[in-house]
Parts: sequence; structure tokens; C-alpha cells
Amino acid sequence: MIRITGGKIYDPANGINGQVRDLCIDGGKFVSSVIGGRTIDATGMIIFPGGVDVHTHVAGGSINFARAMTPEDHRRTTAFIRTQSRRSGLGGMAPTTFATGYLYAGMGWTTVNEAAVPVLSARHTHEELHDIPILDKSSLVLMANNEILLDLFEAGDFERAKDVVAWYIWAAKSYGVKAVNPGGVAAWKWGKDAKQLTDPIEGYNTITPGTIIGGLAQIIDELGLPHPMHLHCNNLGAPGNVWTTLETMKLLEGRRAHIAHLQYHAYGGDDWDTMRSASAEVAEYFNTHTNMTTDAGAVLFGDTVTITADGPWQHLLYKLTGRKWGNLDVENETGCGIVPYTYRPSNLVNSIQWAVGLELLLLINDPWRIFLSTDHPNGACFWRYPEIIQLLMSFDFRKECMTKLTPIARERITLPDIDREYTLYEIATITSAGPARALGLSQKGSLGIGADADVVIYEEEKDIAKMFSHPRYVLKGGEVVIEDGDIRATPEGREFIVKPSFNPDIENFLKPKFEDVYTMSFENYPVEMERVSHAEIRDCIDT
Amino acid sequence: MTCTLGEVKNRADFIVYWGGNPAECHPRHFTKYTLMQKSKFLPRGRKDRTMILVDIRETKSGGAADIFLQIRPGKDFEVLTILRAILKGQHVNESSIAETGLTLEQMTDFIDRAKKSRFGCMFFGMGLSMTRGKHMNSAALLTLAAELNAFTKFVAMPMRGHGNVTGADVIMRWQTGFPFGITFNRGYPRYNPGEFSTVDVLVRGDTDAALILGADPGATMPQPAIDHLARIPTIVLDPKVTHTSRLARVHITTSVAGISAPGTAYRMDEIPLPLKPALKSPYPTDEEVVRRINEAVARKSHWMPADGPMTVLQH
Repeated sequence: MIRITGGKIYDPANGINGQVRDLCIDGGKFVSSVIGGRTIDATGMIIFPGGVDVHTHVAGGSINFARAMTPEDHRRTTAFIRTQSRRSGLGGMAPTTFATGYLYAGMGWTTVNEAAVPVLSARHTHEELHDIPILDKSSLVLMANNEILLDLFEAGDFERAKDVVAWYIWAAKSYGVKAVNPGGVAAWKWGKDAKQLTDPIEGYNTITPGTIIGGLAQIIDELGLPHPMHLHCNNLGAPGNVWTTLETMKLLEGRRAHIAHLQYHAYGGDDWDTMRSASAEVAEYFNTHTNMTTDAGAVLFGDTVTITADGPWQHLLYKLTGRKWGNLDVENETGCGIVPYTYRPSNLVNSIQWAVGLELLLLINDPWRIFLSTDHPNGACFWRYPEIIQLLMSFDFRKECMTKLTPIARERITLPDIDREYTLYEIATITSAGPARALGLSQKGSLGIGADADVVIYEEEKDIAKMFSHPRYVLKGGEVVIEDGDIRATPEGREFIVKPSFNPDIENFLKPKFEDVYTMSFENYPVEMERVSHAEIRDCIDT
Repeated sequence: MTCTLGEVKNRADFIVYWGGNPAECHPRHFTKYTLMQKSKFLPRGRKDRTMILVDIRETKSGGAADIFLQIRPGKDFEVLTILRAILKGQHVNESSIAETGLTLEQMTDFIDRAKKSRFGCMFFGMGLSMTRGKHMNSAALLTLAAELNAFTKFVAMPMRGHGNVTGADVIMRWQTGFPFGITFNRGYPRYNPGEFSTVDVLVRGDTDAALILGADPGATMPQPAIDHLARIPTIVLDPKVTHTSRLARVHITTSVAGISAPGTAYRMDEIPLPLKPALKSPYPTDEEVVRRINEAVARKSHWMPADGPMTVLQH
């Protein structure tokens, strides 16, 4: 039992904006009152619900490939020393699993969504998620380039496609569906891409990226998954891709959708020399269409490693930069590419990317629909979120940072004209309450009675980045995990999964097709329930 | 740039084995994954695929190859570099070609076939990665594969063996950031193959105890390393009596993973396969033994700091 007294509460889920209230915790949840137990005096401090990351890459084959490719970064990064209560590890661009848990919790984040899992290696992803301490987790399974599914779309067999998607989600013990460059990754298996919604897809006759996006969004709504289709749009990263993004948004009218890392999809211009920010066009459309949520995918200057299921884009990035390139195509399901990358303020494209992430966060006016993310580790590492919060809360700091950009870059962006400054209440919305609601996790992102007692307590401080980097206390499930800058406990987290309903006969349809294209036996393919640690099955919803 | 084996099965019409002998070392590789399978894109199976074998001598795998390229021992790096030059249309002088044991025609034919293929894959074995040039050879082959992507789809994959070595590699990476050659002697992982690899640590005599799991270094390592294992308290977990278990102070017999112990094995393409035991064993699993050792150690007074700085900057 814990009572937290005297703190200023920022709890957007319950409309509490800086009022001083006591919080009572028992059995890992918020309760109306407790008698006895520990009291934490939070007088003068700021209290947030634990952070929720709607889109990150922390576990599985691709981030583990990135770890293998970047030993030079491990050598220079922060190291975690083994003690009685914690395991050793390394931070940096692609942190090790134990360090991932410590770094997220040390910053006040308590729930993360691993955004890209191939079913074929889902067993591996769950093993890594188990080794990420403290945090609660969910994961999304990659479906938009699954060839068995694409064949069904090509044949117009929608009902069967729906059963197949539901079967795959349960086989992976996953929480929802991620769609990456729909059709484009399938085309990449032949070295091609599909950039526009009406482009043909190599190897198929009738379907287009648009067919796949529309079909999947409908399936996910009809299955009632708590998190809508999580879409990485086609034509990522390319100058002028704003038109692809707007076309995609129009196609999704009447459907729920989460558009991932919007920054990478909001560029104008015709080529790398004429590229400009198109965040205003995207934000204007997005503001008037409430069927969608998004996350920023913001970029910060510095070193990182880019990892994505978008294989063709990574091949282009390798050709542009001449740096290391890793590519891993997964039979029938997806691809994956890895390229280390440095964002520089002297580079025009990088400067525009930096500005676009912030512009979208500032121009999209409903903090319940845009969330803080860097598409970790693509735009920047997650442990740099406090720097972004500082940029959002201080126009003066933004102006200071913009002096580093070249004059040409400053002409191609709208950031200098935006003087909005986020309030603490809005920061609590984009970092916790909003993403929790978008994920359909009602017990997260809230300090209300009955919610999970995940709490961050900050000592008020003028230096915003410092304040958000070093919370005074972090509680996870009612247990004090961080106190005075030290890790006090490392409990194991839960994994949220869903079991959408499907016709069991679908296995008779799938098995022969499966044996044609896969190299593992059908019976061994689904992840067994006992391999998911502390699984919690969430209900599907009525959409 | 690599892929899972199913991609090769479904798509690869051009396959190269370099410095390996899969017919004897990976006997199911041809039939399950690379040569014999039919697919939607390769309906005639073997007839739709071309296989080139590159090695320094004829092996049983030669019988399965369409083309055998016999190169001089130790010339892998040179051959790969010349292939890259031909790919980029650069001039290569005749004496450089003559040294390799191949002709310009053979090498030009290799590149022509690779460029014309729809999906190419190079598998490389220890004949490439563990001979003169070592990791430089692997890097040259991977670079050739990357550069071929300017013309067609091309991937490469090492032919790994020795049980679940890939699994150890995968798990060490997620827990420490590094695949092997790791030391924890400062309390956090550091990596330096050649310094912290097991064989180097043993040869220098830097370790005062050893726990050996799933390996038989007594059969494969250089004599000074074996001598050191015999000098120090060595504990071996193994289902069988091995060269290492004979020189160890303690041999704990364990059940056999995949036969009488469950678990996960990672295939050479890093796909995790569940192991479902068919038999029961009177012996404990490796996992159980290590867990019980850990529990016993935890009951002793703790040598590690209870507290202290959460992180350090490395030097």
C-alpha cells in the first residue's frame, strides 16, 4: 500500500490538470483510500501517468540484427553495471534487452508497443520481450505483404482473408496488425517496390497497395481489434510523398487507422534538391478527419541506426549513404532492412525531417490523436524523448536550435512561424493518455480508480529536458522501481495479446498452402501460450 | 543482405555454395531448401535452378553442381575482388586472374549468370570464412552480394553448423549486444574477438574456472588451451562422455535437447524452432542444472555491489 501526497496531478484521461490530490495504491491499482503503508511526500512535485510508447522497435530479429551490426556504438555508449538487483547491459542506438527496460523505466515510460513482428520469428520476439524488465508490452504482427493473404485479396476471397488474418494474429500471440509499405515489400522480393496506391505489384495481376490497405483496414475493424490498423504508408522518406499520404488517408475514410511515424510521410518537392516540408497540408487534412491517430516519428540530430520492414527503402538509403546495409527477407511474410545513419543539421534533407516531426506535433491540434515517438531507433533513440518535450514546450529553445540550420533549410520549413508551446497537460496526453487510448489499453495512461498504478513523479525544474530525463520516482504496478535516480526493483512485465475469432476450418485451407511456401512444419509454427510470459488476453471490441 | 531459407526455396534460380560441402556437412540443405524443391515461381524445381560450387578441391557436393569452379587455396579474396571488378566493368590484368586458378571466361560467365538471375543466393562455409583472409573473405563476398542488388535480387548466408550455435549468438546479442568474444570483467559486456574469445582467454591462462555447455573444446582447440582447461576446475554439462568431460573435474550428465529436453533451436537463418522431446530422460536438462547452480550461488554471501551508480561511461 502506498499513498502519494501533495503532488500536482496531470491526468488527462480524467480531466485533472495540475490540481493537488492524493493518490492511493493497493494491489497494483489505484484505489480510493488506503490505511497504513508507505507515504511518498510529493509536495511541489509533478505527477504523470506512466508513459506509453505506441510505436517502437525493441525486440526481435530486426533490432537484434541491428545490434550485431553496430559493435562500434556499443563500445562508446553508456554501460549498465551488474549489481545484485540488475543485469548488465548497454544503452546506445540499439540497447540490449535489460538496458531497454531500465532506460524506459528510468525515464518514466512503463508500457511499450513493439511495432513489427514477423510471425515466423514471433517466438524469438517473445523471448526478447520476456528479457525486457519492468515494462508491460504488446506487439503487432506484419501482414500487408503476406503472400497467402495477398493471393486471397487477388482472388477476392474477403471472408477467408479475414479468418487468415485472425489465425495469424493468434499464431503470433500478438496484439494487432502492422502494415508496412503494403505490396511494396512483396515486390522487393524481386528487387522492386510499389510506391503509389494504384501501382501494380510485381508478381500479382489485379491487386494494388490501395486494395491491400482497404482490405486490411476493413478486416481489422470487422475483427474488432482494440488497436486499429497500424499503417506505415507507401513511399516512405521520398520527396513529394505527401500526395501518397493524403491519398492513403482519403482511402481510409470511414475506417479506423493509426498512421505510424507521420514525419517520414509529409514531404513536398520533386527531388532531394527541391524537397520541402509538407506538414501543413498533412496536418490540415488530419485535423478534420477524426477516424485516425498518428505518432510523430520525430527526428533528432545525431547517430542512430535505421531499421524497418521496408526493405526497398533501406536499399535506397544504403545506395545514398554508402554505409553498412543489412537486409533480411522473411519467407511469405515480410522483409527487413538495417542501415546505420547520422542526421546532420548541415544536411538539407535531415533539417527538413527534424522540422517536420516537430511541425506535425505542433500543427495537429488534438493531442489525443498525435503521440510522441521517434520510431525508435529510426528517427532517434527513445531515451532522447525529453529533448523533444523541451522543443515542444519552449518556442525560444526551438528558435535557438533553428539557428544551426542552413538558410535554405529555414526557407523550406514552417517551424519558425509556429509559436505554440505545449502545456504539461498536453505532454501527459501525447506521452501517456493518448497512446494508451489508441492502443485500447483502458487501464494504462490513467491515474483514475482501478487503473494500473504506473506513475511518474518529477521534481519541478526549469530545465525541461533534465526534469523529464530524471524522474524522482517511478512506480510500475504500484511498486517503486526508480527512486532518486536508482533502480530499486525490476519486476517482470506483462504482455497484452488478443484472440480474434476465426473459423477453425481455416487451418485445413492454410495447411497445404503453408507447406508450399514455408520451411517449418505447420504444427510448429504457432507460438505456444506458455512461451509468452505473463500473457493477458484482451477482449476484442464492437466497432 | 540475407533471407530465410524459405525465400531460397521459393525464389532462388541462381545458387552458389562457396567453401562448403553441404552434401556431407548439411545433407538436407539441397533437398529441403535450395535445389530440389518446386515452388510457384520455380515449377520445375531443380531444372529451374543453376548451382555453382566454388571450392579448392572436388567434394561430394560437386555431383549436385551445374558448374564447379576450382580455385587455388587461399585465393578466395582475390577471386571475389576480381568478380566485383568485372561486375563494375573494370579492367583486370591477366596475371591477377592466372593466380586464382580460374579463367576470365569462367569469372565473366559467373557474373553474367548472376546478373541474369531473378533471385540469387550465395552460401558460404568455413572454407571461405576460416581460411587465409578470414573475415575479410566474408566481407568481400557480402559486398559482392550487396553490389549485385544493383542488377537483380541477391542475398548471402553463412552455412552455420554445430547444433544451436546460432541460438547462442542470437541470445548473447540481445542480452549483451555482441555475439561472442565477450568479457564481463568490468561488470558490463565488452567485445573483442582475438582477445576475449574463449580460445584466446584459455591460451593466455586468464581464466581460473570454466563451465562448458554444448561444446567439446577438448577435441577442437589448440593444445595450450586444452592444457589450461585440465589445470583449472572445469565443469562440463553434456549428455555424453567427450574429450572435454574426460579432462574436467566435474561432468554433469544432462538430457539431450530435442530428444529428451524441450527448448528452442535457432536455424542458420535465425528462425527459432521449438524442440519437442520424444523421450523422457532420467537426467536433468542443461537449463535446470544452470538454474540450480544459480540458486546455490545466490544463497552464498553476495560478491556484487548492492548499490552504486546505475551506469558508467566506458573508457
